[in-house]
This record gives sequence, C-alpha cells and structure tokens, in this order.
Amino acid sequence: MSNPSLQTSASHRPNKVPLKPLIAVGLVCSLIVLLMDIRGIKTFLSTPLAFAHTPIDRPVIDQLAGDCTTDIVSSAQLSREQLLKLLTVPERDPKTRIRQITTEPYCQLSSINIRAGVAAEREAYPLAFDPTTALVILYENDEYAGYRFLF
Amino acid sequence: MLLSGVFLLSSCSTKSAPQPRAITLQQQWTLNPGDEIAGTPITGSLGDVSLYLDGKGIYAPFKGEVEASEQAGCVLYSTPEIPAYLFRLCGLDQINYGSLKARQPIGKGKHISFATLRRQPDGTWVIVEPAKDVLEKALLN
Repeated sequence: MSNPSLQTSASHRPNKVPLKPLIAVGLVCSLIVLLMDIRGIKTFLSTPLAFAHTPIDRPVIDQLAGDCTTDIVSSAQLSREQLLKLLTVPERDPKTRIRQITTEPYCQLSSINIRAGVAAEREAYPLAFDPTTALVILYENDEYAGYRFLF
Repeated sequence: MLLSGVFLLSSCSTKSAPQPRAITLQQQWTLNPGDEIAGTPITGSLGDVSLYLDGKGIYAPFKGEVEASEQAGCVLYSTPEIPAYLFRLCGLDQINYGSLKARQPIGKGKHISFATLRRQPDGTWVIVEPAKDVLEKALLN
C-alpha cells in the first residue's frame, strides 16, 4: 500500500497524475462503502427525533391518544397496589376478575383478532406512578389472556 | 491504515444477526423452517401460512421488536400492543432487527412463511390458526 511520504515522488513529475495514492484511496473508500450499513444509516437519519427527545421522557398517554378507539377515562390509571393484584391473576380467568381490580379501562384499543375464531379485546391502563408506561391487557372470548408493558 | 482497519472490524459486527431468541414450541415437528432435507432448505411447515410476497415488504403492524429465531431464516416479531402472541416470519431479506415503529418494514421477500404463536401459561408457545387482521395490517402500507 502507498505511503503519504511517497507523494513527494509524484511532485517531481508535475505532468504525471499521482496514480498509486489514488488507487489506494479508491480501494479503501470502496471497502468502506461495501461494509457500511447503509440501511442502518438510513434508519438513523430518518428518525432524528429519537436523539433529540428520548422516548422515555414522553408520557404514554400521548401515545395512547392515537391508539385508543373508545372514550378515555382519565381517572382509570393503575396504582401500584392495583398493578400488583393484576399481575397475580392467572391466565384464562374471566374478564370480570380484572374488572374487580380496575373497575373500568382507561380506553379500549382497536379491535383486532389474532386467532381465527377467537374474539380479542385489548385495553390500556397508564400507570399512575409512572407516566411513561402503560399496561396493555388482552382478553380472548372474555377471558384474561395476558399483559405487556407499553412505553 | 490502523484507523480504517478498526473501522472495518467494527462495521463487520453490525452486519451479523443478533442473538436468537430461544422459545419452546409445543408442536415438535420433524421438519421445521430452517431445516434442510436432502440439501434443500425447508421454508415452511405445518402451521405456516405461505405468502407470495414477490419482493414486496412486510411491515410492523404495531410498534414492536424483531428478534432472530433459532430456526434459520426466520425472525420473531412481538409487540406490546398484542400481549401473549409472537409472530414468526421466514424467508425475509433485508431484515430490520431490534425496535421498530409501527409501519416500519420488517423485511422483504419473495416467498415467506407466517406463523402465529400463542403463549401458554407454562411459558411454552403453540402455533395457532391465525385470524386475518394481523397479517392484513402487516401487508398494507
């Protein structure tokens, strides 16, 4: 590979193009381009807000505003005690068991069936003690199916 | 030279697929996507819906996560908006691993296999018959 100090040999022949360094730079550049994660850079460039405003700071109710399909009950946020009780409910327990703990949901999310022949319902509950997080609950045929945290 | 060497080594690591997510499927088929039979790769098995995507993209129906699967050529998509379910997609190229926003492409492919996995109370997963909704949402852009 060429060395920057070899540039001096080219300067002694002002009519000749410095070929060796040019080829070297070209090879290194093409190698870099081949190995660059173009898609990764594209994704990075297309989401500038991710760095300007970390998602962890945003209240989850802003996100839910777009996802909720029923009227929002702003008081229906979960306390620590309610969340703990909820997490002990076993799967396949009736929906009423969850209602005993939460009384009513903050809102319902769009109706989307995941499994053929099974009616699915999804509810969201922001956590009163953590405004960046909500609990999403899935019911199938009026039975509790599971939960996930949304943030 | 040293700097470009270091740069090359670091960029190499971003190209490899992330650590696969290990899940236990209750249905233990003899032939699974990712297996090979007589030198021919298997791209789908019982429980997979086969789609002729013809190079088009398939998109995250909701904000979620794409993880590598232990089955070669397959990924697992999950979303906090659909608790208790995982979706397995096989045959995709140009896969975007990691956290995805809603409508971001998961990948593109010609022939893909799609399976819906339901979590069981014991932590294992079962392939179930999918409803149309999730797949429809994933294909529309």
